Amino acid sequence: MFLKNFWYVAAWDHEISDKPLGRIILNEPVVLYRTQDGALVALEDRCPHRRLPLSMGKIVEGGLLQCHYHGLRFDKTGKCVRIPGQELIPPSLKAKAYPVIERYHWIWIWMGDPALANPDTIPDFQYLDSPKWAAKGTWLHVHANWQLIVDNLLDLTHLAFVHETTIGNAAVAENAAVKVQRSPNNVLVSRWMIDKPAPPTYVKAGGFTSNVDRWQFIDFTPPAFLRLHVGAAPTGTGAPDGRVVGGINMRNLNAITPETDTTTHYFWAQAHDFDVNNAKVTDLLFEQVKTAFLEDVAVFEAQQCTIDRNPHAPQSDINADAGAIQARRILDRLHQEEISAAKVQAAE
Amino acid sequence: MIGQINVTRMTEDRTGVRTWHRVASASALVEGQPIAAHIGDIPVAVVRADGAIYVIDDVCTHEYALLSGGFVEDCTIECPLHQARFDLKTGRCLEPPADRDLRTYAVKVEGDDVLAAMEAA
Repeated sequence: MFLKNFWYVAAWDHEISDKPLGRIILNEPVVLYRTQDGALVALEDRCPHRRLPLSMGKIVEGGLLQCHYHGLRFDKTGKCVRIPGQELIPPSLKAKAYPVIERYHWIWIWMGDPALANPDTIPDFQYLDSPKWAAKGTWLHVHANWQLIVDNLLDLTHLAFVHETTIGNAAVAENAAVKVQRSPNNVLVSRWMIDKPAPPTYVKAGGFTSNVDRWQFIDFTPPAFLRLHVGAAPTGTGAPDGRVVGGINMRNLNAITPETDTTTHYFWAQAHDFDVNNAKVTDLLFEQVKTAFLEDVAVFEAQQCTIDRNPHAPQSDINADAGAIQARRILDRLHQEEISAAKVQAAE
Repeated sequence: MIGQINVTRMTEDRTGVRTWHRVASASALVEGQPIAAHIGDIPVAVVRADGAIYVIDDVCTHEYALLSGGFVEDCTIECPLHQARFDLKTGRCLEPPADRDLRTYAVKVEGDDVLAAMEAA
């Protein structure tokens, strides 16, 4: 199940150059590149002539994308403007063009009806390029359905078991006060762990020597943006009342883009608002979270294997699933709305 | 049924007088935000909704989810997992997959204390 009329992250900005990059997004092949004058282009990655991926081609003069096979050239709207040895160009020689925009160091692509593409609906990921924050991120290719990753980030009890060498400890599962709030297109899971030991990553980054109050606020925005506001401060300094003294405050930022039904592009970054000019801190946090996320990827891929083996095997829900279940309900509703809208459009 | 007998013993003394249990601080109870509490061994949810305070069984009659983690709308509470819905005033089950009603409890407020007791049989 995919939602089409949403922005998705297609790439990090530094991945896109005048060398075309091919990427599958929502089962559609897309080629991304920049022209010599810096314009960002996203086209269907399939030559309308003999269906070779256009990403095997190259950018030539005038910012045209030249197919590797027979040298047909396409402009940034996907229109074929040259056929070597042929004067007339059939109008059907056109590659689909996708709305594409660069923001927060990410390349955003709109996979649905281009008439509905409004950049104002891109979620706020300012932590990736604000001077008040330092951030470092990467991209993971995951052999699992994208919704397994959404589930994972909405239930952080797993930190106690999957990430005990980095960001997890027993308190995350056993001692969290959890609240789930929902609105039509959002889920917010709030978790507080009061007066508990800090997990290893927090000890390294925050230098805590005594118990901490730790917070995790998980914001889910469809289709698959998870912005986590996390941190900890020494117990008794007032964090639950909104005063952060001597603590660490971070954002864990996730943009999950389905590649196929069973594979996913997982874009993420870790941002911090303390020691913002200290690259060692930025690197440390990034490496710690990367270690944890690779542990998650192993879980997702193993889950996908057992799901593929028997997709109809039942699963049961526990209290910690509330946030993920609410998110899935929103996604199911939005999917039904897209199906209904497509039917209306087809009937017109 | 053994559970029922224990409950009766716990909430009434030998003369059958109702025993009240403190389950929440009235000032800390936010409209629409349930909290979990206990009456003896019984998990209950304490809910302020439409200005009144209700105490109901916390465990959904479907599959053990805690309703104190659920969603309050129009004097009903929705289970956070499978959308079963119950009337806060009567405990009546309004939506599947649950099919049994919840027990409700008598409530009174003394000072800042929210007190609850078993309803008279």
